[in-house]
Amino acid sequence: MSVNTPARRRPRRASNALTIAMGLMLLYALLPLIWLFMSSTKDSASLTSGFGLWFGHGFHLFDNIGDVLSYDDGIYLRWFGNTLLYAVVGAGGAAFLSTAAGYGLAKYRFRGRTALSAVVLGAIAIPGTALAVPTYLLFSKVGIVDTPWAVLLPSLVSPFGVYLMRVYAAEAVPDSMLEAARIDGSGEVRTFFTISLRLLAPGFVTVLLFALVATWNNYFLPLIVLSNPKWFPLTVGLNQWNSLATGAAGSGATTTNFYPLVITGSLLAIVPLVVAFLFLQRFWQSGLAAGSVKE
Amino acid sequence: MPPVRTRSRRRLLALVPAAALALALTACGSGGGSGSGGGSADPAAALDTPATITFWTWAPNLDKTVALFEQKYPKIKVNIVNAGQSATEYTKLQTAVKAGSGGPDVVQVEYFALPELALSKRLVNLKDFGAAGLESKFTPSAWSQVSVGGGVYAVPQDTGPMAMFYNKRILDELGLQPPKTWAEFEAAAVKIKESDPKRFITSIDPGDAGGMDSLMWQAGSRPFQQKDATSVAVNLQDPGAKKVSDLWSSLLSRKLVDAAPGWTNEWWQAMGSGQYAMWLTGAWAPGNIASTLPDSAKDWRAAPMPQWSAGENVSAEQGGSAVAVPSTSKNKAAAAAFAIWLDSDPQAVRSLNENGLFPASSELLKDQAFLDKPLASLGGQQANQVFASSSAAVGQGWQYLPYQVYANSVFKDTVGQGLTGDLGAGLTAWQKRIADYGNQQGFKVTAP
Amino acid sequence: MIGIAAPLGYAAYLSFFQDRMIGGNVFVGFDNYRRALGDELFRAGLWRVLLFLLVQVPVMLGLALVAALAVDSGRLRKPGLFRIGIFVPYAVPAVVASLMWGYLYGDRFGLVGQIGDLLHVDMPDFLGSSWMLASIGNVVTWEYVGYNMLILYAALRTVPHELYEAAEMDGAGEFRKAWSIKLPAVRSALVLATVFSIIGTFQLFNEPNVMQSLAPGVISTSYTPNMYAYNLAFNGQQFNYSAAVAVVLGGVTAIVAYAVQIRSMRKEQGK
Repeated sequence: MSVNTPARRRPRRASNALTIAMGLMLLYALLPLIWLFMSSTKDSASLTSGFGLWFGHGFHLFDNIGDVLSYDDGIYLRWFGNTLLYAVVGAGGAAFLSTAAGYGLAKYRFRGRTALSAVVLGAIAIPGTALAVPTYLLFSKVGIVDTPWAVLLPSLVSPFGVYLMRVYAAEAVPDSMLEAARIDGSGEVRTFFTISLRLLAPGFVTVLLFALVATWNNYFLPLIVLSNPKWFPLTVGLNQWNSLATGAAGSGATTTNFYPLVITGSLLAIVPLVVAFLFLQRFWQSGLAAGSVKE
Repeated sequence: MPPVRTRSRRRLLALVPAAALALALTACGSGGGSGSGGGSADPAAALDTPATITFWTWAPNLDKTVALFEQKYPKIKVNIVNAGQSATEYTKLQTAVKAGSGGPDVVQVEYFALPELALSKRLVNLKDFGAAGLESKFTPSAWSQVSVGGGVYAVPQDTGPMAMFYNKRILDELGLQPPKTWAEFEAAAVKIKESDPKRFITSIDPGDAGGMDSLMWQAGSRPFQQKDATSVAVNLQDPGAKKVSDLWSSLLSRKLVDAAPGWTNEWWQAMGSGQYAMWLTGAWAPGNIASTLPDSAKDWRAAPMPQWSAGENVSAEQGGSAVAVPSTSKNKAAAAAFAIWLDSDPQAVRSLNENGLFPASSELLKDQAFLDKPLASLGGQQANQVFASSSAAVGQGWQYLPYQVYANSVFKDTVGQGLTGDLGAGLTAWQKRIADYGNQQGFKVTAP
Repeated sequence: MIGIAAPLGYAAYLSFFQDRMIGGNVFVGFDNYRRALGDELFRAGLWRVLLFLLVQVPVMLGLALVAALAVDSGRLRKPGLFRIGIFVPYAVPAVVASLMWGYLYGDRFGLVGQIGDLLHVDMPDFLGSSWMLASIGNVVTWEYVGYNMLILYAALRTVPHELYEAAEMDGAGEFRKAWSIKLPAVRSALVLATVFSIIGTFQLFNEPNVMQSLAPGVISTSYTPNMYAYNLAFNGQQFNYSAAVAVVLGGVTAIVAYAVQIRSMRKEQGK
């Protein structure tokens, strides 16, 4: 195994042309976010007039944040908490289960292994939107529709994570090591927890981060299985505000203008994830890097 | 078997004299029709038994009206839930009723979706709960839209009699009067375009089947007919539909009318900046104008819809909702009693109107204070008079298909795709999709 | 495992029935599949995402590769800033991303329109029928280019330093090094990224679904196969047919993704 952290390379002369070219790409990446920020500082009158990439009349960011947090008795904060719960529990559980399942698929020969792998691939290939209704019907038979479980249970299952961990485990945990552990008389479960899990850690972190983003952005499933806004995650809640903003014609007039709420709410929803990225990027990268290490 | 038992219990509850209920609830028993049997269960009893009912609605500010109800009937707790708008809500309702649990006790349903939910037995016939005697309390068109196949499946909550909202500043600038006929409308469209090539008299939404339906309705078209439980007729080429498609095809191809989706930020900006001079829509619009366009709302006024023949007064509905009780509700009596109170009690109806809903209540529509109220959102105009007169002039006999939710969803695939040119071809394509779907679902479909 | 298999099995089960408003629920065997294979709307959607696949995925991965190489080259000022900055859009939920871009695209009051007014030129209508697919491609590229860049960059970091030194001693230039050392190093990561992009493309849903409210006359209910499956179930109450469409779509996706993987593996072995 050659996990290597390349020594710092010799400093080179920076290229202006390259920096400028990449600067354009950076601008491309940040432009819509600049728009989002600028729009969050506007009141509803300047939102429907004026230039998108600059401030409007007055600076209303804090008023808007206040409106977002106080609307409907602070339902936004509740959604925020829900999202946090779904993301932490769902992503943590998904990462752990994926690791165990991927490891099992990669390292044990048992009957039906090929079939199981095929099911995993199939589950990745079949769009989740199509499974939403069957999932709903199943859940309502078990009686967990409109509870947090209906969001948590499916997010625990990550076919993508299983697939990734299977690929990763196949390479990161050498068969010879497992053989050695077996000869030493270590049980399979013990081997998994004491030896394999440590080797799998970078892959685990990677899946965890993927799952974190996936659950944070999860929209479709909660939209279907939840009816009560009390349990909504941010994405569904924001979209509900958005549909109030764009209005369903003829079903009663809104007396609140939802555009500023949607825009400022979106900004607030993105911030934690961006901050998390800034802090976690070191782990994330080492996980991905280790993921492509060949034995 | 449990389901059977539930059904027989409902029968018992159903035997309630309608007039008694109307009296108990509204204390102004103008409702007739006491002939629907004698009974044992009492709606007053239902309202006096502690219960919690869940109400799915996406109309904002309903909590204020519901608070009045809870004050009056403190034993009933109403849980308001926004389960999504329109089609999102209906899908959830369909799935919940199919699954047998997870659904609400009371649900907001737009008129166009009502036949579908009623015929597939997703909703309770409210005649069994004393709604039969309420007919006189609502406008005839609202009442006819909640009456499906001999039953009453919802209580009308709000309506959208059409009006022509216009930007007075633009019309004054060009020396124009609000057009009284469609011919005048076309002439005004030309003048508005000539004044500024970026201006349009109005826009038409390629994604909104309801908008097109209303224009055809006003022109006398009756494209959707339910003949009996298993057969329907679709005709999007009748004379009324033809009049509409000829006029608007011509307006669109001359770029006098914009084909832009409504309600988007872009569209509101066009409204606010004077690119659109008019908006033909339901009487619920003033609230939306006031909240989204605080700066230019003062420029807007309401006038009656342009007529096809001078001197006539024919109108149509655009949007509007009713309140129904799903068949899976565990508390049907209380749910029905709440729905009836919410939409027919004089105090409740006023509260709904104050919170932005245009009434379906015939009594409020005749109320002098209501008619004389100057609407701040329309520059102080006493616009309720325009709306009430439109409400009285709504053309009779309009129906929706028992699968209108689907039909409306494919409007954008057919008519919407052809909005830059030939509207008639789009309507023909829409008709074909509607007929095909009906056949797949086992209906006998008659189409020209 | 049960969690994965249960909805999948149930969907497959549903696909053999038909629940009609008149006539009720009946077993229909492979009828739904036969209908799906002959369905023009489904086929048109499939062709559309295939076109998208052939254009958007190479563009996105090409950009990601260039960005990864640039960040890795050591010839960039503040490489960390670029790495994070380009990656940030990945944190934006697809729904929010589509809303934002939808606004920017507006040719009258959106950014595109404002730029057009500024320069006094007629900007193309990015929400019109001729540009829509490209506009959606742009949103997807925006969301995922940084993410793919990071995957490729991570693979580049694993190249042993000695290899570069050896190459430099042989007199290889930057370009030569990129071609003969770096590209082979990211090969497996690139295949992985391609496979996931293929799957993502076939399941294209959020972006066109949000854009639909801005351009209903352009994006039909069957614009992508996944939207078609969704609308069948949610507007048409045709859950059974929708399940069949989803299964067929899953099959096509799996075949294409698998074919790409096999091909690239064979190439690698052939070396």
